[in-house]
Amino acid sequence: MTAHIRPVCAVWVGMVVLCSKLSCMKAASICSNAQAGCHFLSLANLFDRVIQHSARMHGISNDLHSEFELYFLPSKNQVGRVTRNCHTSNILTPNGKENAQRIAREELTEVILKLLLAWRGPLWHLHQSVAQNHDFNRFSSNKSLEMRDMVHELHKGVQKVVEKMQTLGIISTSVGSLASPEAFLTSESSEWRFMKDYDLLYCFRRDSNKIQNYLKILKCRIVPEHGC
Amino acid sequence: MKKAEGVIILWSLLLFTPHAKGTSYSLPGKPTLTNCRSPEKETFTCWWEPGSDGGLPTTYRLFYRKENSDTVHECPDYRTGGKNSCFFNKNDTSIWVNYNITVVATNARGRTFSDPVDIDVVYIVKPNPPEKVTVNTTWDKSLPYLRVSWEPPHKADTRSGWITLIYELRIKMEGDDEWEEHPAGQQRVFNIYSLRSGGTYLVQVRCRPDHGFWSEWSDSACIEVPDYFHQEKSMWILILIFSVFILIILIWVIHMNSHTLKRFILPPVPGPKIKGFDKQLLKNGKSRDVFSSLVGSDFPPTTTNYEDLLVEYLEVYVPEEQELMPEESKVPHKSSYQSETSTSDCDSGRGSCDSHTLLVDKSEEDKTMGQQSTQQGGQTERDLKRPEESSEEKYLTYSHQLDQPDSPDCLFPPGPLSSHFSPPGHKPVLGSNYQEFSFGNTQPHALHHQTGTHQYLQDYSDINNANKEAPAGFRLASVRSTEYVEVQRVKNDNMVLLHPVSSDPEQGGPERRHTEDYSKVKGVNNDNGLLLLQRKGSDKEMDICSYEDQQMSEPVDSGYTASIAAALQKTPAYVHPATQILDERAAGGYVDTSIFPLPTY
Repeated sequence: MTAHIRPVCAVWVGMVVLCSKLSCMKAASICSNAQAGCHFLSLANLFDRVIQHSARMHGISNDLHSEFELYFLPSKNQVGRVTRNCHTSNILTPNGKENAQRIAREELTEVILKLLLAWRGPLWHLHQSVAQNHDFNRFSSNKSLEMRDMVHELHKGVQKVVEKMQTLGIISTSVGSLASPEAFLTSESSEWRFMKDYDLLYCFRRDSNKIQNYLKILKCRIVPEHGC
Repeated sequence: MKKAEGVIILWSLLLFTPHAKGTSYSLPGKPTLTNCRSPEKETFTCWWEPGSDGGLPTTYRLFYRKENSDTVHECPDYRTGGKNSCFFNKNDTSIWVNYNITVVATNARGRTFSDPVDIDVVYIVKPNPPEKVTVNTTWDKSLPYLRVSWEPPHKADTRSGWITLIYELRIKMEGDDEWEEHPAGQQRVFNIYSLRSGGTYLVQVRCRPDHGFWSEWSDSACIEVPDYFHQEKSMWILILIFSVFILIILIWVIHMNSHTLKRFILPPVPGPKIKGFDKQLLKNGKSRDVFSSLVGSDFPPTTTNYEDLLVEYLEVYVPEEQELMPEESKVPHKSSYQSETSTSDCDSGRGSCDSHTLLVDKSEEDKTMGQQSTQQGGQTERDLKRPEESSEEKYLTYSHQLDQPDSPDCLFPPGPLSSHFSPPGHKPVLGSNYQEFSFGNTQPHALHHQTGTHQYLQDYSDINNANKEAPAGFRLASVRSTEYVEVQRVKNDNMVLLHPVSSDPEQGGPERRHTEDYSKVKGVNNDNGLLLLQRKGSDKEMDICSYEDQQMSEPVDSGYTASIAAALQKTPAYVHPATQILDERAAGGYVDTSIFPLPTY
């Protein structure tokens, strides 16, 4: 089965890459010359939009997590709770301000992208699980759906920001792996499949917070004059 | 050996003596972690509440374990945070890492573990309150507003984007209890408008991270708003006063003209109005009174007037002598004559027909109210069966009868006709002043002597014509003997049946008695004098009633004239223009001298 999956995935990835490239080129060609009628968004504006997006995503995940706690009420006596391991823990993320400020922009950007990428699959499954679970009401399933879509949108948005930065020469073009196969493969790791929904949600809440924070740091590092 | 046992026993006793004292030593009570807070998301502090110490000195230690690590670490700093606290500095703090914290209380007896607490520093951020809160008064088109500005807490690093703070401020007037809160978002400046002039305000600001706890309120910033004049408000006040003033005037005007307005809007419905009808009388009085007032003065005719209209009997005077004797007649006058309501007639049967007064238009009667109407010869009272017959009607009938030769009688309705004066046209018909209608002696019983009367008339007119060159006085040359005729009955509308009454001088006639004195007008003297013939009682005619004989007129004329004229003038109530009077007198021929104070002769 895996033998069949690999070429299929490769084809699919190629198609995705092609399409995204085309769309990106299209976007670049439209506003490359800064023509009249084309809204020229500054990097700061892009950053603001992305940051708002990530803030909303985090808010939804927070709400959903609270709802999960109501329904499931994991006993606090669980010792295994501490040993919970998010599947994104292998992604090295700065855990402090100094670390975050010390890290290079490109790394930070990559971390963001990795994180966003890592959660696309799990959220899709999470939504499936929540929608099918009759314990949850409709609002919960709507939130999970929204979360799933937002990750996608945010990923695209961050990619646009990266492109912008690259065109502006702020960061090097090494950060360009829109959907590197490694990243895709990591997200394909089945660790998260064994996780419970509650733990997934817990992990995602944290990661969305990270994404938001990293984006803010990135913005204030690159375009500090606007609200930093 | 025994010594060693004793020592052991002693030692055990020593050991157990504290227990023997009565205090029970036990394990320390379970401590509880109250809260952990991080002011800037870089460090955090945890506080716990110790339990009972169990009677023994208890030590507390905090241990934590990071996520995905089994290494247990102890709190690095027990002092910075105060008592029973643990402070984690930057090096020890990891964000997005789950901490499992436990506090252990240890005493001699043992140790007690608290409940573990899982925290993630991201979610326990409670920043310090904002700093440098400043308030300034700024002017915007002569209207002041407050400009509040502040700084984020210096520990919170918002510059690098590590923390994003959201602010909120509140304001109140000095002395108020309620604060007015305003969310300010991420901005660090805020404007407050609509301030009270001359008021003192207090402003406070606080902040919180996007996912965290609110900070404490900052210190109050005090500011006093200067006095200012709200022009817009003053304009509205002026407009209000003006409109109120106008409204008051309007109300006053309406009040003054309330009646006209009421009539204009709701015109009064005309009610039925009956002349002489008194509603009040109807309500209060009796119905008789009401209707009596309704009746009025004109209807039905009063008795006095009524009686005037009555003609009891008609006197027809048949003169036997040439000389005409002024007849006395009862002349019903208007106002002055109204006293003579007696039905008796002195003048019965004499010469009533030649009275001009009978033929005078009734309109002139009103003018000559109070005048004396004179009648030549005599006037007879006619007793009309029908009193409603107007005088005019009678008058006309009379004239009509004269024209008709077949009319037998001369009817002299004395009342109203007395004041009637003939139109000029009738004068020649009737001849001189008074008329006498006399029957011939040959037919004393004849009731219908048409020819006789006609002849008489003719003779009369001849006589009159013959007497034209006579002096202004009225006199008839030929006077026949008078005979009295009494009205027997009234036939139809214009005929009266007469029958002669014996005219013996002895008898006289009861009708002959006259209470009044009558004088015959001789003529008109100038413009304001009447020539009257002095009355002298003749042999025949002198009865109670005295009337002048025209033959005796001469010597007395002048005297009479003056007096009468004077007398006439003395009674202005009755007298109208003198000329008119005199004319009428002349027409009448008779003046009732009883009114005037005539000297008796």
